[in-house]
Amino acid sequence: MRDRAAIVGVGYTPFTKDSGVSTLALALQAISAACADAGLTVADLDGVSTHRVGDSVQAAVVAQALGMHDPRFVSDQFGGGSMSHTTVAQAAMAVATGVAETVVCWRAINSRSEFRMGGTGRPPPDVVEFQYQVPYGYATPPQQFAVMARAYLERFGLGREALGQVAVRQRQSASTNERAVMRTPFTMDDYLGARWIVEPLCLLDCCLETDGAVALVVTSAERARDLPHVPALVSGAVWGGGHTLFSNHRGDLTTTAAADSSRRLWSMAGVGPDDVDVACLYDAFTPLVLVQLEDYGFCGKGEAAGFYADTSMPINPHGGHLSEGYVHGLNHVAAAVGALRAGAEVALSTGQPGYVAGSTSAVVLKADR
Amino acid sequence: MIPGIDRDSRPWWEALSRHELVHQRCDDCGRWRWPPRAMCGECGSFAWSWQPVTGDGVVVSHIRTHHSFLPGIEAPYSTVFVALAEQDDVVLPGFWRGDSEPAIGQAVRAVFVDQEGGESLLGWR
Repeated sequence: MRDRAAIVGVGYTPFTKDSGVSTLALALQAISAACADAGLTVADLDGVSTHRVGDSVQAAVVAQALGMHDPRFVSDQFGGGSMSHTTVAQAAMAVATGVAETVVCWRAINSRSEFRMGGTGRPPPDVVEFQYQVPYGYATPPQQFAVMARAYLERFGLGREALGQVAVRQRQSASTNERAVMRTPFTMDDYLGARWIVEPLCLLDCCLETDGAVALVVTSAERARDLPHVPALVSGAVWGGGHTLFSNHRGDLTTTAAADSSRRLWSMAGVGPDDVDVACLYDAFTPLVLVQLEDYGFCGKGEAAGFYADTSMPINPHGGHLSEGYVHGLNHVAAAVGALRAGAEVALSTGQPGYVAGSTSAVVLKADR
Repeated sequence: MIPGIDRDSRPWWEALSRHELVHQRCDDCGRWRWPPRAMCGECGSFAWSWQPVTGDGVVVSHIRTHHSFLPGIEAPYSTVFVALAEQDDVVLPGFWRGDSEPAIGQAVRAVFVDQEGGESLLGWR
């Protein structure tokens, strides 16, 4: 399916702490904006694709609200950030196979005002392994990724500055992004002095919780050439996973499922890490950025802290989930498309790389100039 | 009250409350299985039995939670993650019951921590 479908439209709602509207309203706003950006109308859509964890409106309801009386493709994935990039991958597959012509992908969440990942009194998502975690007071993403962070820092003899550089740089990037929720730069000293959330992660290692939606319009590469923007070809798309924290079949908490799935991704895309101009790496927490630089093959295991310090490749130039906002992976895809329109040739965008959820996903996009 | 106990996991929880640490083991290939489930992911066998494990293990990671995420559980508290001596990709969480802070690589043994509702949970020391 390499280069057979392209992202031609991007739509955002504002990123806020309280949208004041339903996730259905957010989805419809972002989708309308994405269609307008693509030079299309909602009537041009014939497929829908989203992901959610019991925290957002069903894909079929959105299709109906859009006025689609006979949608040709409906994909409604269960999963959080790990499944985020499957929304685009499924859409590209549907377009490449001719099942649909133009599919809209979105993620709509009120993750600050309605459904906080750390719990707001609502029951946790329907995940079998939660029963082994919750009784110990271990139930939230910062705790899950602190497990990885501890193992990673100790294995490679790194101090907290290895993580702090990611937080500092992403905030610096966000300072010029008008969409970003957090734009005030901070220093390494500020980072080191921030309060603990879950040792070894402090407040500034953790992503935001945001209300908002992002939508992306995917159509055929052929049709994309007649539309206003430089098409972002879906050159590679990958699904992966197969292990969780408690049954990882790996014996290594510092390596994610992306170490396996990334090989398929590069092979499908026909490019490698050296060809990437911009990387949007899922950053619910700072250690994920370092681990993914290794697992996607930009550097060797244990080398990411040094690689990050030295590289000139933009990594999360929008500020990522740490500073721009948390739309669960899809604002990363949108940022990658933005970078391609602005002149980059190849972009990598990734979902949560596995290890907690047992699944992962990612895409490689290329500008079609 | 343990939330989310299911038909695969109930015997494991019931054994734990009897202060027995048991795990599923494949009758065909001998692989230890965790969490509980009906089929061996290694060889595909549906033949298995609950077998006791020693409760010996090694700390693979540990965290200290400073934010009270869950009602009724006051921060700060430490949680450890232990790979079983029998098979190191079986990783169990638990309360920390050691005398000093845990360390990765530290050899530990399971203890049973009784709850008010009659259930037991795992601690490590």
